[in-house]
Amino acid sequence: MKLNLTRTFLIRTAAIALILVFSVFLFFIGKQHTVLVDNKTVTVNGVEVKALQLVEVQVNSLDSLELAARDRDKFDVTGQKHKVTVIYTDANWEEHTIVRTFKVPLMQDMVMILLPALVANPEGEQSLWLENYELPTYAMTAPAEEPVVTDDLAVLVEI
Amino acid sequence: MTLHMTKTQKVLRFMGNNTVPILFLIICAFGIPLSGYSANYLVSEVIVRIARNSFLIVSLLIPILAGMGLNFGMTLGAMAGQIGLIFISDWGIAGIPGMLLAMIISTPISIILGWWCGKILNMAKGREMVTSYIIGFFMNGIYQMIVLYGMGAIIPIRSNALVLPRGYGIRNTVNLIGIRKSLDNLLTVRLFGIPIPLVTFAVIALLCLFVLWFKKTKLGQDMRAVGQDMEVARAAGIRVEHTRIISIIISTVFAGYGMILYLQNIGTLNTYNSHMQIGMFSVAALLVGGATVAKANIRNVFLGVILFHLMFIVSPMAGKNLIGQAQLGEYFRVFVSYGVITISLVLYEVRKKRDRGLAGLVLAAEQEETV
Repeated sequence: MKLNLTRTFLIRTAAIALILVFSVFLFFIGKQHTVLVDNKTVTVNGVEVKALQLVEVQVNSLDSLELAARDRDKFDVTGQKHKVTVIYTDANWEEHTIVRTFKVPLMQDMVMILLPALVANPEGEQSLWLENYELPTYAMTAPAEEPVVTDDLAVLVEI
Repeated sequence: MTLHMTKTQKVLRFMGNNTVPILFLIICAFGIPLSGYSANYLVSEVIVRIARNSFLIVSLLIPILAGMGLNFGMTLGAMAGQIGLIFISDWGIAGIPGMLLAMIISTPISIILGWWCGKILNMAKGREMVTSYIIGFFMNGIYQMIVLYGMGAIIPIRSNALVLPRGYGIRNTVNLIGIRKSLDNLLTVRLFGIPIPLVTFAVIALLCLFVLWFKKTKLGQDMRAVGQDMEVARAAGIRVEHTRIISIIISTVFAGYGMILYLQNIGTLNTYNSHMQIGMFSVAALLVGGATVAKANIRNVFLGVILFHLMFIVSPMAGKNLIGQAQLGEYFRVFVSYGVITISLVLYEVRKKRDRGLAGLVLAAEQEETV
């Protein structure tokens, strides 16, 4: 079969290609991720890092959260690149602010920021304080069986 | 030469041509005081429903222009839109990008379904409405097969929130929290305390402008010609069947987009029922606005949405206040929404016969003058 490369054909092909590229772009910018912020004692490179007494966390420009020791909360974000701002006071009552950017893997639904690890390694690599998080299977409650109603008139059969 | 009509005849003719909107105005005029709702509440509710439904109803205009009547096959587009929404919910795409991606996914599905529907309607000329209505039911079966058995089994769906406990098939309801009101809340202004979703209205206005522009294009003129007389259009060199198929494709694609706009406002997708209800309600709203099977315009769309949904809002409370049972109002509005389609179709036929009679009188008068 001979392929007829007319101008119309080329324009249509280019338009479809453009739409496909745009779809991929939308996928990247619209993908939603959950960022968990966790303030529990953790072990980083064999060293135990204690949880902070009180810490204020903000991701991008979302409403900030205050976490006490052993608290965990979450932010819902879209896109891959984000900024986390951590404000805490040390033992001398001096306030510190740490601002870091991080990147979430595209197909990862949940990541967790380990706040004590971030505070202990403010200049450290992302992998030290950010880890991928998979919901444990026991946390997923078995969904109840539900009857699927596809035909409103199905009830007549039973009468 | 025209027949001279008295003022009374003109008024009667006007009332005859606008029976359904007048009927609804009367119902609303009685219902509003009975419901006891404040004007502010009613206006804000009507604005929400205009934003939610107008796009879907505008999608019905082009097949009417092409003489194919009310496109009950718009449910095909709605199904395509829903499939797009299921996919973006599974992939976790939120906000405006999610909506746009759902629209892109729905487009090829709508085009294929619209083309197929148009092909069938070309085989059933003169019975397009009932045929498209039945096509909707037929396609619903295929949609259910794909969504209920294909998704999760053949078509990969990762999210446990979407898949039925048995491991395949989509649940009865899909939570669209990721895109809920993402377009409506993009830019909202408050007028007298009533929120107006400006971007949604801008999108609807763009579609209306598109329809107005489209009517003036060569294809739009061809559709009008086909709608008036297929044989004359064919003799003039217009590809009648092709033009009719295009009109259905455009309508189906817009119905898909309209469904996405509608569901982003609602925030929940009723997987197996949403699309079936929407076809009937859109057609009813357009007819309430004074449209007929052969003639409809943008004014009919907005008048229809306002009147039809005003009745939807007030009837349960009016029923409750009048008889003490809100359920009666619910029955009433269901009865009216189906009844209005029947009345409109009957009136259309009556009017057609009357106009034919009038044309005969004009011809007779002309012949008498010549003699």
